Amino acid sequence: MTAVRQALWILLIALLPAFFASAFHPKRPAWSEDALKPGEERLGTVQSWGDSVLWVDARSRKEFDTEHIPNAVLLNLEEWDQLFPAFLDRWQPNQKVVVYCSSLACHMSEEVADRLKRNSVEPVYVLKGGWEAWKSKQ
Amino acid sequence: MRFIPFLFVLLTAPVFGQLKWENPEQSFLPKAQDKQVVARFRFTNVGTMPVTINDVHTSCGCTTAALQKKQYAPGESGEIDAAFQIAGRTGHQEKAIYVTTSSALLNPTVLRLKVDIPEAFTIEPQLVMWRVGEAPQPKTIRIAVSDEYPGKIVSVEPDNQSVKLDLREIHPGKELEVKVTPQGTTQAAAATLLIRTNYPPANPETHYAYARVK
Repeated sequence: MTAVRQALWILLIALLPAFFASAFHPKRPAWSEDALKPGEERLGTVQSWGDSVLWVDARSRKEFDTEHIPNAVLLNLEEWDQLFPAFLDRWQPNQKVVVYCSSLACHMSEEVADRLKRNSVEPVYVLKGGWEAWKSKQ
Repeated sequence: MRFIPFLFVLLTAPVFGQLKWENPEQSFLPKAQDKQVVARFRFTNVGTMPVTINDVHTSCGCTTAALQKKQYAPGESGEIDAAFQIAGRTGHQEKAIYVTTSSALLNPTVLRLKVDIPEAFTIEPQLVMWRVGEAPQPKTIRIAVSDEYPGKIVSVEPDNQSVKLDLREIHPGKELEVKVTPQGTTQAAAATLLIRTNYPPANPETHYAYARVK
């Protein structure tokens, strides 16, 4: 009985930090799919739109050069003036534009999407989970 | 019951070693020409055990955080320098820096950097566009510089003849309205508007707006 009681104590002790980690850790996995923010789309939805989507990579040039979604165009705020003309060359009116950055934690994709919308580039979406979401499905 | 002390150690670790932050939330009002903002977050280990900083990460690639060393003895102070790159951003910005320490592995400290960036140069919109076949009606771009901006707009001109510009100065050198009219919309065309300033004198800035027929 002592062994059982000790095993239960070990379980209880292990459960406490596990509970706090699942409730409060900034990198905790989601228990369920988070709701989408306005203008956000999940990877599955974007992929269902087919090849006509124009992917916009809002990360740094270094990250883009390392790896990016095939056919994505680089467009970030740091080099906006240099990169925006190349985006315009690729973009067609009414083409769906999907912007991504590194992960759930980054906001660069939202900033780039806002700036595109201010220039009447529509429709523009943000990929939920960014590059990490895309990479995890490869 | 011999496990109770382990439980005690686990739950009370933060009491024996913990960092006290002087100013975990900082606000900045940079000038229009500033390239970056650097926030210095100072801390002291006010516990009785050494503290190791296991991880420092930021909410944005635009912010980097530098730490001098990882381990801090009781009573020892240190600092994290967080540099936020302004490049291209305007308005209110909030960035977070997450610090995970050995004394609070499950509960990272969140440092906050709030920056209100004045808009030195406004071009709204930066793109005017006509569809092929659309009536070639003029479209307006408003260009303005803030009072803080030390220079003036000295010229606006297209890089080719596919568009015609009609300039109206609202405040000389500081605010302009530019009506852009394509020469035709029967086929695709592209022009870049070069907005030249006289600042800085040694190498004056040029800003850009774009006209497209697509």
